[in-house]
Amino acid sequence: MQVTFKVYRKDPEKDGKPGRSNYTVDVPDGATVLESLFKIRDEMDPSLAFRCSCLRGHCGDCMVRVNGSSRLTCTAKVSAYTQKGPEISLDPLRNVPVIKDLVFDWDAFMWNKIKEVKPWLEAEETSANGENSVSDAAMQDIRKVMSCFYCGMCDEGCTVLPVDFNFLGPAALTKAYRLAFDPRNKDSREQVKIVEKPKGIWDCVHCYEADEHCPRGIEPTKRIVALRDRAFNSGITHEAVARHHESFAASVKESGWLDEGRLAVESEGLTNVKGLMKLLPTAAKALSRGKAPIPYMHSKRPDADKIKKIFEKAEQEEK
Amino acid sequence: MKYAFYPGCVSRGGCPELYPSAVKVADKLGIELDELKSVGCTGAGVLPQNISDPINARTFAKAEQLGLPIMTICSTCTGVMAQANYRLKEDPNYRDTINRQYLADEGLEYKGTTEVKHLLWVLFEDYGIERLQSLIQRPLKGLKVSPFYGCYLRRPPEAITPTKELNRRKAYLDELIGILGAEMADISGKGKCCGFPILSANEENSLAMVAKHTGESKENGADFMVTPCPLCHLNLDGNQARAEAQTGKEIDLPILHLPQFVGLALGFDSSEMNLKRHIVSTTNVESKVSMMS
Repeated sequence: MQVTFKVYRKDPEKDGKPGRSNYTVDVPDGATVLESLFKIRDEMDPSLAFRCSCLRGHCGDCMVRVNGSSRLTCTAKVSAYTQKGPEISLDPLRNVPVIKDLVFDWDAFMWNKIKEVKPWLEAEETSANGENSVSDAAMQDIRKVMSCFYCGMCDEGCTVLPVDFNFLGPAALTKAYRLAFDPRNKDSREQVKIVEKPKGIWDCVHCYEADEHCPRGIEPTKRIVALRDRAFNSGITHEAVARHHESFAASVKESGWLDEGRLAVESEGLTNVKGLMKLLPTAAKALSRGKAPIPYMHSKRPDADKIKKIFEKAEQEEK
Repeated sequence: MKYAFYPGCVSRGGCPELYPSAVKVADKLGIELDELKSVGCTGAGVLPQNISDPINARTFAKAEQLGLPIMTICSTCTGVMAQANYRLKEDPNYRDTINRQYLADEGLEYKGTTEVKHLLWVLFEDYGIERLQSLIQRPLKGLKVSPFYGCYLRRPPEAITPTKELNRRKAYLDELIGILGAEMADISGKGKCCGFPILSANEENSLAMVAKHTGESKENGADFMVTPCPLCHLNLDGNQARAEAQTGKEIDLPILHLPQFVGLALGFDSSEMNLKRHIVSTTNVESKVSMMS
């Protein structure tokens, strides 16, 4: 089958301007995108730069965007992308510094962020023989996460990274989960605090895109939610988030449902004049349209006492 | 056709235009609603699971007693409840523990039979599109509309799109735009996050998301955007002016709730759908709709 690959090009040793080269290649049935790239480089253009390593979908090194979506080229079959026509576009990831052609800066994309979460384990205690054994059952929860091979597909799917490249991203935060929930960790709360800083877990919108992108089914979003739940249950250290969550929890606990007016005011902080002033234009407009709920003028739900009881019991259980 | 109606906090709080619009539309369609009043907030993804799962289990048990599926008008309520319901249905031991520890005191038990559906799903899966089409009195011809789902109405798959057939849920809003006679102004971020969940933690990022989605919709010629999620509405409508100030770009895109959009096609006036209550002016939409009448 004749397929035209439209490949993103950029060469810092020439003018460094982005462009595109078209290569029409005869590819055999069942060929992968990576095999096609080898063919282009070997037979047509030795200057084309791309990455690969394991060639079997286990390392993530060859990830690029195939027709706009992130894929591992070593497992992506050409035939899966030519149903609408014999053309395939290949691009480096979005919002990532490109080094040359399809080779982008992995340090900026992921590794520097992994380093930020203190990606090593400080164990509780070490026995005389230098081993720190744990039961198989105790490791079950993190075993799946340990199968992460850092392909970065979750970061590529992330909703936050396109608007803020400094967000730590699901890959690094999932690494933090793997360490915080390791039964050998001597201070898992400290590990959670590291990712409570700005650009960490509280900047995640928990949209579950990462879970859809992960080729290993590790479910990074659920791991981030578990880190947040742990922070909630042991006292959130991010100030603005703590105010918001405490207000939310208090209103559900006291009345069964949410007092949104109170939440808006208390999230800013009752003594934060600047923050409260910021709310005024929208609040005034909303009020004039009968839209904004008045803080603290909130009625209890029927059975609010029963919700409160559940709330208190759950808090007690967690302790 | 009857549902245990779970309207959610926002439909009467920050978006008080939503609740009455939804009730009017349901009434016109002949969908009977038995409102669940003595139940709690879903937790909205803010409360941790160890607190919100038992509160949601209690809601499911109440609906189970009525023998009715739950209908919501909020993507976030649907998503949080569907995820909790998945855990409770899939793991009988977990359900037993929740029942024993939290519900038994009230003599309640959740047996794991309650279904949770958004109005959008109800229209396609239970009500039927042909029946809906037969009730359209004002095809919204000439209006260009962008869909915006709210993340929780699309993911995670085990709770939201558990079968291949139900993968269609990811396109219901796209389909509905055509069914109601309007034209689609598609946007790349229709299934992404609106930014609302991080408004406290990172306002700049949150507003950047508002500007991205509404700006793209406007560039694609939309008259308005429609969303089944009132939390998305709070950010996309309520904070659009701040997003404009942050990016220095005028957007001015009205955001309609799903029931308002359906209601206009069913023949309700803009005033009956409470369009005037929005923060971004809906005047242009109202005048176009009034020309159709």
